[in-house]
Amino acid sequence: MPYPPGQLMANRTISPQRWLVNFFCLGVPTLFVLAPIGSFILYSFWQNQNGELVRELTLENYQAFFSDNVFLGVFVQTIALCLGATLVNVVTGYAIALFAARRSPKLRFAMILLFMLPLFTSYIIKIYAVRGILGHRGVLNELLLAAGLIDQPVTAFIFSQTAIFIALVVLYLPFAILPIYLAIERIPENLGVASADLGGGAFDELWRIVLPLSMPGVVIAAVFTFVMTLGDFVAPQMVGGTGGFTFGRIVFTQFGVALNWPLGAALAVVLLFTALAAVGLAGLSSRWSTAR
Amino acid sequence: MNDSALLRLENIGKDFGPVTVLNGIDLEIASNEFLTILGPSGSGKTTILRMIGGFDQPTRGRITLNGKDLHGLPINRRPFNTVFQDYALFPHYSVRRNVAYGLVVRGLPRAVIDKRVEDTLKIVGLESYATRLPHELSGGQRQRVALARAIICEPRVILLDEPLAALDVTLRAQMCRFLKDMQRRLDVAFVFITHDQQEAIAMSDRIVVMRDGCIEQIGTPETIYASPNSRFVAGFFGENNLIDGTVVSIDVDHCLVDTAIGRLNCRFSALGLAAGRPVHVALRPEIIGISPDEGHSFTIKDVQFSGPSIMVEAADAATGAVPLRFRIQGGKTAQLPKAGDLVNLTWSVEDAFALPAGSAHG
Repeated sequence: MPYPPGQLMANRTISPQRWLVNFFCLGVPTLFVLAPIGSFILYSFWQNQNGELVRELTLENYQAFFSDNVFLGVFVQTIALCLGATLVNVVTGYAIALFAARRSPKLRFAMILLFMLPLFTSYIIKIYAVRGILGHRGVLNELLLAAGLIDQPVTAFIFSQTAIFIALVVLYLPFAILPIYLAIERIPENLGVASADLGGGAFDELWRIVLPLSMPGVVIAAVFTFVMTLGDFVAPQMVGGTGGFTFGRIVFTQFGVALNWPLGAALAVVLLFTALAAVGLAGLSSRWSTAR
Repeated sequence: MNDSALLRLENIGKDFGPVTVLNGIDLEIASNEFLTILGPSGSGKTTILRMIGGFDQPTRGRITLNGKDLHGLPINRRPFNTVFQDYALFPHYSVRRNVAYGLVVRGLPRAVIDKRVEDTLKIVGLESYATRLPHELSGGQRQRVALARAIICEPRVILLDEPLAALDVTLRAQMCRFLKDMQRRLDVAFVFITHDQQEAIAMSDRIVVMRDGCIEQIGTPETIYASPNSRFVAGFFGENNLIDGTVVSIDVDHCLVDTAIGRLNCRFSALGLAAGRPVHVALRPEIIGISPDEGHSFTIKDVQFSGPSIMVEAADAATGAVPLRFRIQGGKTAQLPKAGDLVNLTWSVEDAFALPAGSAHG
């Protein structure tokens, strides 16, 4: 733009509107997002001694995490659980999104609305619904009993690692469908026509055109599900019982039960950096989707 | 009619719901011709292309390739390739991968594909752009990729859907020559869709003029330019003076027409032209000249300098009716008429052409 740099600077500093815009775009997020994160990062370097908060910088909380096999074990187990849920969600979500995107515009909208409906429902209600399905006398067990496939209710459905897995998949599936659907829908229709015109079959179109071009949606879906399942401690608490334990529950325990906030904060920081690593990895993936 | 026809459209019709967009299309395409389907938007020209490509099915009639009916043959099994209006290049693939696509899906060995991609890129002059992505190319280069992607499949017919519409004027002229040159070199049939008569004249062996879902006229560019068979075609191809008249008498290929400026002798070619029929006499601006002694008496109304030539507007000296526009050569030595001058206008009988009033199919 043909402004002398000085004038541009002057405009920025003087204009009160710009100051207001800057405040709302930068100031408010900093205040409400970065400040709490900063405060618990600070907490994680403090210490709890006999119920007293000692405001001295120490790495003890992190040492506790890295030297304790219980913490590490649950951490690894939780990551595996969330990766599994992410994989199932992305694959299922892709199939559903692709199916929906190939319907007529009217039906397409109805389908997506249907799959997004759970997002308008309270989280707690959804968890109780999942419990109602998975429970000892739940829908699933009753169905299997009625079908004669089992003679006693299967206990593994509820209060176990499997139960957490199923609950996480069910609860976060909409978050996987939506970005994938949007990515598929954005692919110009004539690319599929061009593929067929050049002799490609349905599989060629899916594998060489639709899948690579919808990769950004897949990546976002994966990040969404992974990060959200990683941080969820309510669902594991409600359906995991004593048989299923996740890292999120451990963090919650430190804050809510053990009242060791510095340790809880340190564990939360570990979780935060795991999530950030996932996001960073996703950012790198944009390079995979083009082929020269 | 023509035994060398590769592709034949027989009485093709297409309805979209209650709307008939194409009707009674009969067309033959020879194995190495450059055929242009020309018409304004909504004339059904793209629908014809889509039915040949298999993207749409005709409601009536049939399309045959070497006598074999193409009905029910899916898009990917037809030996035609399309250059789409917006090119439809795969945005995540490099030029090389885009061009290779047709061979990759056929499962050809890697070495064969690489060789043929290289050769094809050379043909279209893009060998140094092989690793670029489509968004890193100019419009003309994308066009070439789209063409390369089609010709590498060695189709019997290449279908081009207004591929030059998105290009600027200079580039369009350049691509016109390029496409024509490609078609000659590859010796393959091109079916080219356009609404631009200049593109059509510049490239085609034959032009099909479409109007309202029907074929208005088929012929070489020269025929269509010099002997349009309807007012629509006459007006579609450049500027044309049309003088209303009535046929008085008719010869083998000439007729006498009574008009407001007297009895004119003209050529004609339309079937069913008879004495008493209303006609238009078409006079191209470039065939009218000023003569010192003989001709029709006209008054000059306006003289416009337009670069290489000078556009003159005149009207009948006696009545002030029958406006004619014609073009004369400029230059320093030229004797230019002025507004108000009385002049004699002449033209050769062979250049005046009588066409039936109203459209060809009534």
